[in-house]
Amino acid sequence: MFLNAVIDMLPAILAPVFGIVAALGIIILILEWQGADPQVAWDYVYEGTLKTAANRADLMAFWMPLAITAFGLVLTFTAGLWNIGVEGQLVMGAIGGTWAVRLFTEYEAGKGPALDLGLGRDGVLILCFVFAAAAGALWAVVAAVLKTRGGVNEIFGGVALNFIAQTFNMYLISNGGPWQPVGSRATETARFPEIARLPTHAEFRRLSPTTIYITIGAFVLILLIMYVSRWGLQLRAMGKNQRSAFLLGVHTERNIILSMALCGSLAGLAGAFRVLAPDVTKLTATPSGGMGFLAILVVLLASTSAILTPFVSFVFAVLSKGGQRLESGYQWDYGLTLDRSLVRVLQSTVVLMVVLAFGVRNRYFPPRSTLPVVDEDEVART
Amino acid sequence: MKVELKHISKTFGPVRANQDISLTFEAGRIYAILGENGAGKSTLMKIMSGYQSADSGEVVVDGQALTFNAPTDAIASGIGMLYQDPLDFPPFTVLENFIAGRAGGFLPDMDEARHQFMALIERFEFDLDPDAYVDALTIGERQQLEILRLLSLNVRALILDEPTTGISAEQKTALFNVLKALARDEAMTVILVSHKLEDVIELCDEAYVLRRGKFVGQQSIPCPISALVELMFGKVIERQARPPVEVGDPTLVVDRLCITSRRLTVENVSLEVHAGEVIGLAGLDGSGQGEFVRSCAGLIKPEDGRILIDGRPMIGLTYHQFARAGVAFLPAGRIEEGLIGEMTVTDHFALTLPSRAPWVNWPRARHTAQARITHFNVKGRPGSPVRTLSGGNQQRFALSLLPQNLRLLLLEHPTRGLDVESANYIWEQLLERRRGGTAIVFISAELDEIVAYSDRILVFFGGRVTLVDDPEDMTANRLGELIGGRL
Repeated sequence: MFLNAVIDMLPAILAPVFGIVAALGIIILILEWQGADPQVAWDYVYEGTLKTAANRADLMAFWMPLAITAFGLVLTFTAGLWNIGVEGQLVMGAIGGTWAVRLFTEYEAGKGPALDLGLGRDGVLILCFVFAAAAGALWAVVAAVLKTRGGVNEIFGGVALNFIAQTFNMYLISNGGPWQPVGSRATETARFPEIARLPTHAEFRRLSPTTIYITIGAFVLILLIMYVSRWGLQLRAMGKNQRSAFLLGVHTERNIILSMALCGSLAGLAGAFRVLAPDVTKLTATPSGGMGFLAILVVLLASTSAILTPFVSFVFAVLSKGGQRLESGYQWDYGLTLDRSLVRVLQSTVVLMVVLAFGVRNRYFPPRSTLPVVDEDEVART
Repeated sequence: MKVELKHISKTFGPVRANQDISLTFEAGRIYAILGENGAGKSTLMKIMSGYQSADSGEVVVDGQALTFNAPTDAIASGIGMLYQDPLDFPPFTVLENFIAGRAGGFLPDMDEARHQFMALIERFEFDLDPDAYVDALTIGERQQLEILRLLSLNVRALILDEPTTGISAEQKTALFNVLKALARDEAMTVILVSHKLEDVIELCDEAYVLRRGKFVGQQSIPCPISALVELMFGKVIERQARPPVEVGDPTLVVDRLCITSRRLTVENVSLEVHAGEVIGLAGLDGSGQGEFVRSCAGLIKPEDGRILIDGRPMIGLTYHQFARAGVAFLPAGRIEEGLIGEMTVTDHFALTLPSRAPWVNWPRARHTAQARITHFNVKGRPGSPVRTLSGGNQQRFALSLLPQNLRLLLLEHPTRGLDVESANYIWEQLLERRRGGTAIVFISAELDEIVAYSDRILVFFGGRVTLVDDPEDMTANRLGELIGGRL
């Protein structure tokens, strides 16, 4: 009995392990081929992310927006929605947050806030997050309504909306755009005034505890939705069979819009984290830098498990931050130019290999629970 | 070319689509394969044309047993299939389509192909422009093109799946003339898969009938339509004398309902169903009964007319509002629409049990699941994914999910694919609901079932309906004539 259970579990455990080992093998081959020592590469990744407290703080600052974006995607993937538009929702969140700063603070010296509500720092920051979440949600709802009412697949709608969001961002901050400071040639806004800066950790100036609190809050919310609420069960049903879910009484259209909106608002918060980060405090040309797409990989690798998402996003944060150190390390110490995209190759290979391993497992070692239940009476009758 | 099917069996999960079917198709004759949806005829034809492989049994062509791994293999052996929706490439020209799928060098020989094409259309007197684009052609013309393409690949046995759907009367006459000529003059084997019994009588020499995945009989043609209907639907046992039904107030009132769908128009249906009454909907598949039931469930918006549930007008309301008014709908494809195969029995109860709380009451869901599957005799555990249940158990489970006090229960093929005992069990459950005042409207492909359980019968033919409310008329002959369109 116990042995059977262990044997049943084996493929489930071995599949991801096999996937990760295969991916590492491929990466090592690529590094060897480039003439880079894989052992050294590992040292660089470690050095760049976990070695010192300051590194760990930087890692944290990257991990939080990635994780919160991935939490939202757990909802949409569970409901069977491919929210590729999450990248654009993140950008819109960054724009929304910046807009709040422009509205409620004295952005240009001596002029006073555009909308003077007499807010202190907490008020400004709260509005900043609210605006960011609303902007991200709005962008997601556009994709959702295009799907439910216009018959546009959320993937195509999302790709188009990503372009529009990115282009809108560039319009705002480049070539004399409305948010580019007069006389500046840099494609970014001016730095945010003091009142719109996040409180920072006493020792690590680039890390703000606020983002950590918000991300933990979002995590708890997603856990409640996925494991406790009826709504989470409805989303799961929709993901497995939307038609049947509808016939069983689930309001599928409403749930598509709601789950997209919630995912969009969490991505929007991630966008706010990115522009409000203590070492940024401005809207740049690439507020997301592909973080939305990275979050999609995270959720795929975690097979849409809410519990696994923080851990997988941590691994991806390590790979991303470590990759930067990898690049500069080889450059300085060995005069070896590695392309930055190598990290992306690495992350994607891990996902591909793990997904492949799951596919192989489901095909050749189907879990026992999916085998048919034999009705002996029925067999006897036929 | 003589084609034999020997002991063909094919299963899809718990569904036995073909069970030990052996058929012989002689050269120079035209055959019909008859059967309701789900009878297994499409599967059989797909096996014959190499699109799917059988679990067991073999296809024997001119005495030689063959294995097909793909349609290309079947065509190479001389068996070609014309699908219901033409499998062509609309953005390409007729001639380009004509050479599609042909073996040959990297660059096709267009001149040679044009030559061959012109010779073929002359022979069959088809009016096709080789340079026209396929998307400008009618369905009938696209069929002609596909037939020519298959002939040019030296096909000697031609399978046609519902070829007369969507083509004009003249095109149908032309098609039938060509098929007759091919069989007579070139000893080709022609196999027609169809629901349209008039077409079968007009064209074919012999009909093979399948029911529930089994071969149930053959009939030489000419013969009366009712002979074919009887084979397709099964023998009708004499209607048992039954106690008069105590019917209540009208639950469902349908008034001059008109529904337009892609395939047909259902016109002017009026019906009053009382609490506790059972109405059977008979007719060949696709005669409008599916559309009718789905409009009564709020899934299709009718073009015109009124639907009232307990006197309340329902047109324009959503499916969920119909459900709140006490209407339930159980579709035929249980695992495609109705149940969620990957979720467990308990999950289904957690999802459907009415509750105001935002969280799931798992203990209650598990408790209900255990109680209901015991009561409904479902073989499975609360934790079993529904996909792993057998067909009969899935159907019983679907019934166990329905709310207790329904006003109207709409069912599509409630016992399709079930053995006799499971079917009887389902009906016991349904009749119990009827005693509780639920009105039942069901579609069935089994005349047996319809005659046995209906208080009144609505027969659909081509979107028009005839109401049979006199038990004297509920005989195989009379219903067979109505189903076949003889009013």
